[in-house]
Amino acid sequence: MWKVYKYTLIDLARNKFVAGWMLLLLAISLGLFQLEDQPVKAMLSLSQVLLALVPLVSSVFTIVYLYDAMEFTELLAVQPLRRSKILSGQMLALGTALVLGALLGAGIPLVAFLPNGASFTLILACVMLTLVFVAIGSLIAIKNREKARGVGLGLVVWFLFVLVYDAVLLWVMFAFSDYPIEPWIVPLAALDPIDLGRIMVLLKVDLAAMMGYSGAVYEKFFGNVRGILVSLAALMAWVAIPSLFAFRAFGRKDL
Amino acid sequence: MARVTFENVGKKYGRMWALREFSARFEPGETVSVIGPNGSGKTTMIKCLLGLVHATTGTITVNGEPVGPDPKYRHHVGHMPQISRFPNELKIGQLIDLMDDIRGSKKGRAEGPLVRDLGVDAMMEKRLGTLSGGQRQKVSAVLAFRYSPSVLVLDEPTAGLDPLSSGIVLKAVREIKRTGCTVLITSHLMEEVEALADRVAYLQDGTLRFLLPPEDLLAATGQNRLSKAIPAMLISNTEAHVESI
Repeated sequence: MWKVYKYTLIDLARNKFVAGWMLLLLAISLGLFQLEDQPVKAMLSLSQVLLALVPLVSSVFTIVYLYDAMEFTELLAVQPLRRSKILSGQMLALGTALVLGALLGAGIPLVAFLPNGASFTLILACVMLTLVFVAIGSLIAIKNREKARGVGLGLVVWFLFVLVYDAVLLWVMFAFSDYPIEPWIVPLAALDPIDLGRIMVLLKVDLAAMMGYSGAVYEKFFGNVRGILVSLAALMAWVAIPSLFAFRAFGRKDL
Repeated sequence: MARVTFENVGKKYGRMWALREFSARFEPGETVSVIGPNGSGKTTMIKCLLGLVHATTGTITVNGEPVGPDPKYRHHVGHMPQISRFPNELKIGQLIDLMDDIRGSKKGRAEGPLVRDLGVDAMMEKRLGTLSGGQRQKVSAVLAFRYSPSVLVLDEPTAGLDPLSSGIVLKAVREIKRTGCTVLITSHLMEEVEALADRVAYLQDGTLRFLLPPEDLLAATGQNRLSKAIPAMLISNTEAHVESI
């Protein structure tokens, strides 16, 4: 696995897209911290941008990269290597490259301008969302033979998580506001990794007005620290479950 | 013991059988040309052997080891695909290093068969993304022959190569065959088939129509060239089949 990881990472390190992604995040982060007079406000604006952009870029880049590497994957698959090692090397390298891009692009400005727990939580949320969407992107790329279909599906999944699911959750809350639905909100919110990332950050910032209903429920049920840990555990499950499906699908796939 | 065996191997994509009840044994030191029209099942047969495609039915063995999830048997297999694409940003030398790492080879980059003959030693620092199709084929040929395979699978090995490089690759095929390597080669070029093949396997609609030495094919059809003998053989096969019905 580490051999595939090493050389995939070398390939990714020279990839202009990864460098571009880092520079874009750096420009957005520095821009927001320069524009806002209060660093907390800048961090909150940045969190909105990052929680939407990181999943989008991670999944689409993973899908495109894995499609483009298909012939190379075939070359690796005819070597004395288990398929699980090929995929784990590639996924880990993609995760490392994208996480490094996010850390250098957004992490450094965050730590420089607002070195507090909220910034570190936002960085952690970005890292986890990167890994979640690398896993989801890999699963999509493996399950679909056509690149256009794979990218389209990646965009649909992102759109569902970033916008549609939140709207549906809000509708459920309004529609069943007369019932004791709070206990249901915890698992329902955990079904959206982007929502989990948002909850993690807002629990740390402790701004009730921005927390939203699901964030408030997490705070009520778990308190700040436990709420963050539960969100983190749920995000880890979001990395593990699509990864497991991706490994299973790749093991059975006809290349 | 046969080097490679296929027993009733079939592969179904959706409702369509790409390969049906394919059975054959390939011996050490034998070169078999696998030919047939487009979509006849040649690539599926090769991909089943390489473990890229999972056979729906039947079993395949290489040196007695079954082709399956355990990748050990691939230590003995070399493969040159028809179209080679590599990571754009890696250099040729780095790709060779990666393959050496995987295979546990201690060779230097410039050592090994074909590296100098095909001029790959002079291109080690070139990025793979900047290579032409022919140069990529040369790299692919180097990798296929590099680890002393006992089974070598070549898919249209001279497609995209200049005549000089084609000659070098075909010479290497003859040499590796002498070491006892079993070579499976797909080609649409009859001159290549005539020059290399100990036996010719003809596939059509996923079915093996015949697997014969070229001399037998010529004798059975009364032709003096394979390019004429193969169609004649197919016609006589079809007539015999119709008569049996």
